[in-house]
Formats: sequence, structure tokens, C-alpha cells
Amino acid sequence: MIRNSRKESLIAYALIAPFVAIYGLIFIYPTIDMFILSFQDAPLIGSGDWVGSDNYTRLGRDRRFGTAAWNTAYFVALSVLPGTLVALGIALGVSRLSGRLQALVLALFFLPYILPVSVVFRLWDWTLNFQFGIAMHLFDWVGIDRVPIFKVTAWFMPAVAFVTIWWTCGFSILLFLAGLRAIPQEIYEAAALDNTSRWRTFRRITWPLLWPVTALVLTIQLILQLKIFDQVYLFSQGGRPNDNLVMVYYIFQRAFVNDHGGRAAAIAVVLFFVVIIVSVLNFQLMRFAERRQ
Amino acid sequence: MAEITLDTVSKSFGAVKVIDDISLTVAAGEFVVFLGPSGSGKSTLLRMIAGLETIDSGRLEIGGRESQNLAPGQRNVAMVFQNYALYPHMSVRENMAFGLRNIRMAPDEITRRVEEAARILEMDALLDRRPAQLSGGQRQRVAIGRAIVKEPAAFLFDEPLSNLDAALRVRTRVELAELHQRMQSTMIYVTHDQTEAMTMADRIVVLNDCRIEQIGTPMEVYTAPATRFVAGFIGSPAMNFLPVQIEGSAAVLADGARVPLTVAPEGAAELGIRPEAVQVVGPDEAVVTGEARVVEHLGDRTLIYAVLPGGAEIIAQDGGRSTVAPGDAVPLRFDTSQLHLFDAAGRALPAA
Repeated sequence: MIRNSRKESLIAYALIAPFVAIYGLIFIYPTIDMFILSFQDAPLIGSGDWVGSDNYTRLGRDRRFGTAAWNTAYFVALSVLPGTLVALGIALGVSRLSGRLQALVLALFFLPYILPVSVVFRLWDWTLNFQFGIAMHLFDWVGIDRVPIFKVTAWFMPAVAFVTIWWTCGFSILLFLAGLRAIPQEIYEAAALDNTSRWRTFRRITWPLLWPVTALVLTIQLILQLKIFDQVYLFSQGGRPNDNLVMVYYIFQRAFVNDHGGRAAAIAVVLFFVVIIVSVLNFQLMRFAERRQ
Repeated sequence: MAEITLDTVSKSFGAVKVIDDISLTVAAGEFVVFLGPSGSGKSTLLRMIAGLETIDSGRLEIGGRESQNLAPGQRNVAMVFQNYALYPHMSVRENMAFGLRNIRMAPDEITRRVEEAARILEMDALLDRRPAQLSGGQRQRVAIGRAIVKEPAAFLFDEPLSNLDAALRVRTRVELAELHQRMQSTMIYVTHDQTEAMTMADRIVVLNDCRIEQIGTPMEVYTAPATRFVAGFIGSPAMNFLPVQIEGSAAVLADGARVPLTVAPEGAAELGIRPEAVQVVGPDEAVVTGEARVVEHLGDRTLIYAVLPGGAEIIAQDGGRSTVAPGDAVPLRFDTSQLHLFDAAGRALPAA
């Protein structure tokens, strides 16, 4: 076939132009603007004075920034790895089922994922309600003293992490399940003929062959959970928002509560680089581990 | 090396019976081929011996040990899969050693066996590669090597050559036959390819529709097929089948031509005759004269697709330098020592 490559590339440019235009307008331009804003002492709307790196150097002395950074790291530790393990466990269980039963059970596990965060908040706010919550009856029954979970700092992050895992692990389960289905049945049959015990089959066959999916799930979760905001914001209502600060929440406070556009932008830039560095590092480490196996 | 005995073995998938009351003994050191069309149950039968499918009823003995309820790994058999089923994340060496490590064999014994197998299969240079870095033929060798290192009571092959190209298939076929000569172990080999079955088997088990049609050496199955199915399935081109009436000591074709028989059960039957027994002769020797439709020159021989006066189609074989052309009248003679008769149920009758 004779192809006119000049004409083809013209058509190609024409076809991607609308996307590039919109992407530039609502992503590239605001991002660049945010970088510029982070060097200014500016309100959220309107211009400000150039202050150099002041907004950044202040962060070192900012106690609330310290709390936000610590809480975010704590939340990531509580949600990413445990969430991935829970999803893997459930996916392994679901993959043993077959036919309609598997579809049904998978749908049940996936159901929370389609709920909006406000519904998730309502559900768990009621479940864990100090006076009426079902969970408190469970506490009574086991013999633990009732706790106003979202009002106590020690309980807050673990509880939010738990709810987040419940809410989002459906998607990870789906990814793991796809990964499990991609492993040919014949390999398990060969392993059965090779006298492989159940644990060794998992350890030496399933786990290594599932590693690329695990790396993907971990990276997606890491990026997602570093940006935690909604759940913390909602569950903090009437509680102690300043103790429960996370990075995005703090950006929100600075920008929309205190009208400190410049300082908010500086925190956002820091978070931006943290997400990039952590996720790239994570993905590279995973690939390195894969190659070494 | 062990004897394998199946005693009235059956299996169903739901309401569908896939193996129906099969009994069979594979002698120690024997190379037995399960041959049949797809859906005949041959792979299922093999997988039942391996333990990958359950046996609903009946007995399985491997080396004198009742095995129908043992886990696959405990039956002391090794299997080579159609798609090789190598562990993609392990090197060739690890692939072969994996099963031995699972039973905690001493490391130097593992090394010895792996290197021995690599030497037999001429793949010493490949030991540190991953399956993805190997060609199809090399992967097949690794799969065979993984079976050899176990030194099993029996080898099970599930259509191992069907993913190889034609030239490699022929070469690997010869190598497998050599391997059997050298190892003298019991081998069961599943295929739908009659050439593989004819060339490698000590005995062929022809399966059709969940049942055994015939068990016999390749020549027995070829020269004395027990049923019309076996007669039609084995041999290429396939056997000719002509409806006949048996009168006295002759089979009468639709157009009245008489083929002399020595044994003669009365009544309607089907006459089977292989193309190589249908010879093109001079007009005065002919039993029947057909009209050639298609002529295939294969070099060493020529196949003539002809139509008989009664409308029956027949394939005849002539020499490599045959001058028959489409449209010619071809006088044909049947070699009466190679006739087969089948009754209405497809069973072979004593003939010729």
C-alpha cells in the first residue's frame, strides 16, 4: 500500500489537537501557574509579591505541616501494604470459586468501590457511632470499652485506613484476579505432577508470576493514598481536624480557609514531588526485585 | 518402568459420559499410543492416569499400586504437555530441578540428574536460559527433560508435537522413539496424528466416542481393523467403502460387478478396500471400470479419484508414472487379499 506519510501525520496532528489543547488548558497551564504561585506571597485570587523561596523555608518551621506530613505517611503505611495484602487474599479466594458464584462474590466485594465517598462516610459514621453504632455493640459483646472512634486521635487514622481499604480494595481485587487468570492452568497441573505443596505452589509459582500485578497495585495504591483527603475531611467533622491533618487537607486549609494561595501552592509542589519520587522509586524497586528473582 | 492397568474405568462431566468403562493394560516398557479424533476422550484418559482428572469409578494401578485416589505427584508419573507448561520465571535448570527439590532430593543428586538429562537432550548450553528465550522445539526438549529427571514409572505425553512445525515434528518424533529405545520405560502418548501413532507405537489404542475401538500393533490395526471406524481413520488416503450384496462366494457391487470372496456371510455389507489395493490394470483384467475425476501425481505414486458406474466414489492407486488423465475410463482390479467387510453396525466380518 502506498502511504502519504506527510498527509498521515497532518491528520494525526489534527486528531490529537483537541486533546492537547484541553490538556494544556486545564492541566499544563495550571501546573506551571502553581509553580509560579508557590514563589509568591499571594492570596488565592489576585496577584501577589515575589518572595523567592520563603514559602518553602517556612514549611520547615511549620508545626501543622509536620503533622500533615507525618499523618500522611502514617496513613499510607496503614493502608497501602495491608490493603494490597487483603486484596490479594480475597482475589486468591475468589479465584477458587467458579461460574455464577464467582461473579456474585466478586460483585459483592466490588460493590463498595462504586459508592461515593459521602455514602461511605455515612455508612461508617453510623456503624461506628458511639451511641447507636453496630460496632459498639460488638465492642460491648467482646468486652472492650466503647470509644468515640473518630474523636480520638489514636483511633482516627487506623479507622480511616480500615474504611479506605474496605472502600477501595475491590479494584485491587479485580486487578489481582485478572493477573491470576493470566497464569495458565497447565502450569499448576505441571506443579501438581511435580509434587508441589500448596504453600510452595503459592510461594514459587503464583507469587512470582503475579509480581508484575502486585507492583502495579502497590504503585496505584501508593499514589492514591498519598493524596488522601475526602475521608479525613468528612470524618474530622466535629472532631479534631488539626490533629488529623494530612497533606491535601492542609493545602485545602491554607488555600480556601486562610486564603494563603502562595503557601498552599508550595505545599502542593512538595506533595507533587513526593508522589513522583515515591512512585517512580517504588516501581523501579519492584522491577529490580523482579529481575533478581 | 512399570505396568499400568485400567480396570473398567469411567468418567462423566456432569451428565456427559466422557470415558465409558475402559479396561486396558500397558505392559512395562511398552510405548502405547492413544489415537483418536478430537472429542474421543484420549486426552481425558491420559489425564485420568496422571491424576489431573478424577476417576469416577473403576481401578487404576501403576506399577502394581492402586492409584486412582492418589494425588498426581504421588503416582510416580511424569507428563509432557502440549503447550509445554514450563515455569516461565525459572531457568531451564530450575524448571527441571523444581520437582526434585520439592521432594527434598540431595542437591548433588539433583545436579547429576539435570546434567544427565541435558546431555541426553543435547541442551547443556541452554541450562541458564529462561523459557521465553527458547524456540518451540527447545521448549519441548526442556519439557521432556523435566520428565526425564524424575526417573518416573511412566511417561505421559499429551500431543507433545502438535505445536511444532512439520520438519521439527518429524525430527522430534524420531528422537522420542530413540529416547524410548534408550530408556526402556513405559510411555503413553496421546495424538490425533496417525503417522505419529504408526511410527512410534508398540501398540495403538484407537479411541472413538469415549470407547476403545481396537487395541493392536500398528500393523494389526492397519491390516485387520476391527471396526469400520478404525478402517476409515487409519491410512491416508482413507480406505474406500462400497456398499455390496454378498451372494454365494462373491460381493456384488451396485452395478453388478462381482468381487470374489473366500469366506462369505450372506446379506448386505460394506466392502472396505485401501487405495493401494485398488490397482489400475488392462481392460481384460478389470473387475470394474470407473471414470477418473481427479488425478494427483505424488511422484512415487499417483492417486486417482474415480466414480464407479453405480455412482460410488473410489480412490485408486497407480504407479508414479501413471498416464491416466481426468475423464479417462480406468479399468480397476481389487487385490482380494486386502479386502475388508463390515456389517451394518460397523463391525468387521471375516473377509477375503
